[in-house]
Amino acid sequence: MTMLFVRLKLRLILGNLRGDLIKQVGFAFSLLSALGCALGGFVLFGLLRLASPDVALNVGIVVFTLFTVGWAVVPLLIFGVDETLDPSRLALFPLTTRQLAAGMFAASATGPWPLASLAVLAGGVVALAEGVGGVLIGLVAVVLQFALCLVTSRVLTTALSGALRSRRGRDVLAVAAVGVVLLSQLPNLLLNRGLPGDPGALLSSTGEVLRWAPPGLAAHAIADGGLVGVAELVVLGGVVVLLAWLWIVALRRALVMPDASNQGGGTVRRSWIDRFLPQGPLGGVVAKELKYARREPRGRVAWFTAVVVSGIIMFTLSGGDGPVGLFSAAGPACLAALLIGIQACNSFGIDGRSLWMNAVTFSSDRDLRTDLAGRHLAMAVIAVPVLGVISVAAALLAGNAAWAVPAAFTAWGLLGVALGVGAVTSVILPYTLPERLNAFSGAAPGQGALAFGSSSLGFLVTGALALPVVLPVLLGIGWFGLLAVPYGLLVAWAGRKTAGLVGFARLPSILAAVSRAT
Amino acid sequence: MVEAVRTQGLYKRFGQQVAVGGVDLIVPKGSFAGLVGPNGAGKTTTLSMITGLLRPDGGLIEINGHNVWTDPVSVKAHIGVLPEGLRLFERLSGRELLLYSGRLRGIPLEETGRRADELLRVMDLLESQDKLVIDYSTGMRKKIGLAAALLHNPGVLFLDEPFEGVDPVSANTLIDVLRRFTESGSTVIFSSHVMDLVERLCDWVSVMSRGHIVAQGPLAEVRGERTLNEAFLDLVGARGSGDEGLSWLGSSGDPR
Repeated sequence: MTMLFVRLKLRLILGNLRGDLIKQVGFAFSLLSALGCALGGFVLFGLLRLASPDVALNVGIVVFTLFTVGWAVVPLLIFGVDETLDPSRLALFPLTTRQLAAGMFAASATGPWPLASLAVLAGGVVALAEGVGGVLIGLVAVVLQFALCLVTSRVLTTALSGALRSRRGRDVLAVAAVGVVLLSQLPNLLLNRGLPGDPGALLSSTGEVLRWAPPGLAAHAIADGGLVGVAELVVLGGVVVLLAWLWIVALRRALVMPDASNQGGGTVRRSWIDRFLPQGPLGGVVAKELKYARREPRGRVAWFTAVVVSGIIMFTLSGGDGPVGLFSAAGPACLAALLIGIQACNSFGIDGRSLWMNAVTFSSDRDLRTDLAGRHLAMAVIAVPVLGVISVAAALLAGNAAWAVPAAFTAWGLLGVALGVGAVTSVILPYTLPERLNAFSGAAPGQGALAFGSSSLGFLVTGALALPVVLPVLLGIGWFGLLAVPYGLLVAWAGRKTAGLVGFARLPSILAAVSRAT
Repeated sequence: MVEAVRTQGLYKRFGQQVAVGGVDLIVPKGSFAGLVGPNGAGKTTTLSMITGLLRPDGGLIEINGHNVWTDPVSVKAHIGVLPEGLRLFERLSGRELLLYSGRLRGIPLEETGRRADELLRVMDLLESQDKLVIDYSTGMRKKIGLAAALLHNPGVLFLDEPFEGVDPVSANTLIDVLRRFTESGSTVIFSSHVMDLVERLCDWVSVMSRGHIVAQGPLAEVRGERTLNEAFLDLVGARGSGDEGLSWLGSSGDPR
């Protein structure tokens, strides 16, 4: 029965690849990188042997802990990739909970990345073990640690599977995914700002704390290699068994729990802003876009990312020996404008399969132009104040509040240029955004290259078009910023005009391109 | 006979596969017309091309005498569409969806609000009008989609599988609204594979099979002396052979 689950998992992996060259290439690439990670990780981890035993032990503890945390978090973020993860699909088969648990455990150990993790963890034996006892205890410890990773990940996905299937749960998770990706930038930022205390002390204090957590026990047991190690393994084994038991309980519950995915969510408040917007299609599109920026997780994620990334850049530029003068105020503001503007490179993607509703009303290129103008206006309503705030913050950090003025004007102008370019890329290179947001892909299967092409083209053309007005400001000629806004408005208008003419002729192709199945 | 919809030699190919191979569809004005056919007959492709959402590879389409692809201005304001697959703006509430649709069509906001209120009441959606469409059930989605398609009072209404997955109560509401709509002289064209429903509602039927129209005309003419279902099975050339094989199925075998 367990073998059946393993075969099912292999079949799912293979079935996913059938007849799709891009996916096959992607899988080959993934396989190679898993192999690379397994070998590289094993060797690197093993090389720790050359360091002093204390440092090696602490690094080992940290690595083991990171693996456990990674296994707990990553599957949650890419839930839906693996069909063996969802117990509700198996509920109707006559299986005991124990069979189901053993099978799903084996299935989750199958695949290139789990095996790569096992290989890297095995590097811990090379790094830490002393003598025969150490090696023997080490092998058991690595297997137990691997089991701990799998069981932890299973417990979490099963316990949360109800929430993950509901719309609200997925919405929350989508935004949380960005938080995790951004958190991973935190150490980078801290190192950039200069860390208090030396890394060695930090490592040993971290190691001392984590040493008593189950993964730490495993690492310590390998290094100890004696009776204490055996005792630690017993504790670790106990934890694994306990988690496995919790998992079986959660599984039993998940199988008979009502499907929460169809239960209605709450109501939304009626918006009062609508009344102040222009009548007709223009106001309609603005109102809709503003609601989408707020309610659609992909919209929220895009805005959130743009603001936080510019914030990070702002702090990095202002700290230490970065560039000085107007550049350190206008630079972050312009970057934020570019990051926000790049969202417009695939304006129709967020509408996706519902774009037909607009398309059935377009009877000339003028209508498409109005639609794009509405999208631009909605974006400006949010982006202009945001860029203003970023400019002021950057100017204050750079040490001269007056710099905020040229910085803000330049950023607004740059946004206009980006919107104009985005209007054109939206109609010539449209692509489908995936229905379920995950942190690792921005386009429907098979359209990754298109998405990459669209945004890099957008970046390049925007950069080239904006250079005449942005460069002087970045070099310190502040009054040039006054030219940026009219210039940006002009480019945005020209972009919409071109996009209207080109896009109306190929409206059915745009519809097809943004409505692909994901 | 005044024609609301007329196509001539409508043709569409996806790669090697011919989805629609020369369709001459005719729907008289003021009729309640059914477009029936088995799965994969090309009903959805045909409707998408007629409503201007999919570009045909060849052929002519006219709605009320205006060419859909060369003269969209005269056509698009006068048609309403409910496509397959319930693709609506999921993050708007039902009411917001109607208001948005009205604004896209250039109807003044107060008028849109009034029409939306009435449509929501008739469709029995008042209670959930402020819920997001993503949280609607299938029947509610069909109803709000139909409401959005009716909001600008189109002369011709195209519905792709409007009754699929809809509970009997909601279906009844949909039917009442559509009946009232056609009695005033407007035209409804809907695709379906529920023959009983088509037989009960329609006065005009077009039967499609493998990308072609195999029969077309007033309901009585198409079905003749038979029921529509029998006529349909004869026309598409499919008589099942459900009594061969499967000897293990049924109470004489073990459930294993």
